[in-house]
Amino acid sequence: MRSLKSDRISGIVGPLVVFVIFIAGWYAVAYGLDNNFSPASNKPLIIPPPHRLFEDFNGINRDKIFTATLISIKTSMVGLLISIFLGLLLGILMAQARWLERSLWPYLIAMQVTPIIALVPLLIKIVGANFAARVIVTVIISLFPIVSNTLFGLRSVDRNLHDLFTLHHVGRIRRLIKLQLPAASPAIFTGFRISAGLAVIGAIVGDFFFSKGNPGLGKLITTFFINNQSGPMFITSISAALLGLSLFIIFGVIYKVAVGRWYEEAAKF
Amino acid sequence: MSTSSAADVVDDQVHTGQLLSLRGLGKTFADSTQALSNITMDIGWKEFVSLVGPSGCGKSTILRIAAGLETPTSGECVVQTTKVGFVFQDATLLPWRNVFRNIELLIELDDVEPGERKRRVHEIMQLVDLVDSARKYPRQLSGGMKMRTSLARSLVSNPDLFLFDEPFSALDEFTRERLNDELLALFAQRKFAALFVTHSIAEAVYMSSRVVVMSPRPGTIARVITVPYSYPRRHDIRYTPQFAEICGQVSRALRQDSQ
Repeated sequence: MRSLKSDRISGIVGPLVVFVIFIAGWYAVAYGLDNNFSPASNKPLIIPPPHRLFEDFNGINRDKIFTATLISIKTSMVGLLISIFLGLLLGILMAQARWLERSLWPYLIAMQVTPIIALVPLLIKIVGANFAARVIVTVIISLFPIVSNTLFGLRSVDRNLHDLFTLHHVGRIRRLIKLQLPAASPAIFTGFRISAGLAVIGAIVGDFFFSKGNPGLGKLITTFFINNQSGPMFITSISAALLGLSLFIIFGVIYKVAVGRWYEEAAKF
Repeated sequence: MSTSSAADVVDDQVHTGQLLSLRGLGKTFADSTQALSNITMDIGWKEFVSLVGPSGCGKSTILRIAAGLETPTSGECVVQTTKVGFVFQDATLLPWRNVFRNIELLIELDDVEPGERKRRVHEIMQLVDLVDSARKYPRQLSGGMKMRTSLARSLVSNPDLFLFDEPFSALDEFTRERLNDELLALFAQRKFAALFVTHSIAEAVYMSSRVVVMSPRPGTIARVITVPYSYPRRHDIRYTPQFAEICGQVSRALRQDSQ
């Protein structure tokens, strides 16, 4: 009981201490930077101190950030759903045949390690600098954890359980449904959770390169930066962070609901 | 305390042919490890036989061949039934299924219809005293309860031949003895045949009518020791001089053959 109580206290006090240090560091950087404030208007140009964050947060900027957030949510969710579908499909197929795993794995690794900027000209030529290109970037960034976790989960099923199913002459599809997918579900949902965070990164990175149409959060950050509107720029960045955090938490809750009853690690989440 | 005497030396089994026949069985794995050599033995219907031997002597390989999970490289293995149950060293329960659903698993895979499944699972849960734990998940169970669930899962398919691969080795001594008694009671009631792999000499003697002692790799049959107690067995036969003498015979056979 005592350790539970101290766990709870440290769970609150720890993040609080880090928050205070973070705010103090923020003030130190804001007031420590040369040329951070305009000599004429005293407006923060690069980093606004926390208490001046909302100075330029007027109706127009608020609407811009709200619209950009909706667009980034749309981009990241569409990209994430495609990644989930493709990732599960590839993971399941690769788990069924070693030759398929050996054939696809190098390309998945290549896709994972290739900087997005290297693909920009190609994507512009093929789909244009639009929403579709942003979704493709999101998919490229968020696909890998789902494929690798699905494959790892499906391959990690206890050999004795496979033997038990073999003894009862269970075929591939039924074995996949009754044994492998449920056994792999903690790993699969962990993959979803990691990819949810990456999907937001993908949507925002995509904005930097493919800015046709209404801008998402990434494009808006650039616009505010160019216009020296450091307050709205920071709020936009915080919106992006909150969006990533929200998706991470939502998929964490899904993970807990799906496997928390029987998987101890998920129950702790 | 009552003891069993030589007068109890009765075999009350009526065999109608052999349920499991191994003839000149050999197994060499792909990495050239020779696990078994010239294993010949029979297990009759409703007979309880234990296999003991040093680690790596191929005891589990015999079980896997009998179950059809491995093929022998020489000799033959004939099993006169398709109803084979396998209990592993670990309980190997599906963690996402509760106790009821775990026990139901094998008859579900055998396409037994739901009403009949429910009836059989309830019957087995009563038999092994798991009714109160029906809704619990494996992570909420003790080691003994998990193994009891694993036993129930195999029992529910009414196997003619039960293959046990050191099922109680991970349990504490008290739980192990209790599960030995429970398994013997089930054996007396259900009359399946059993091939029981164990590292415990006392367990092998207590449970079986024959103890097959194997030599180190490549495993061969070094000696077969008949246990002269009828079933059902009283737990206190474990404390008799005769029981100690039989355990001594098995132990000597193991030592002689590993020297």
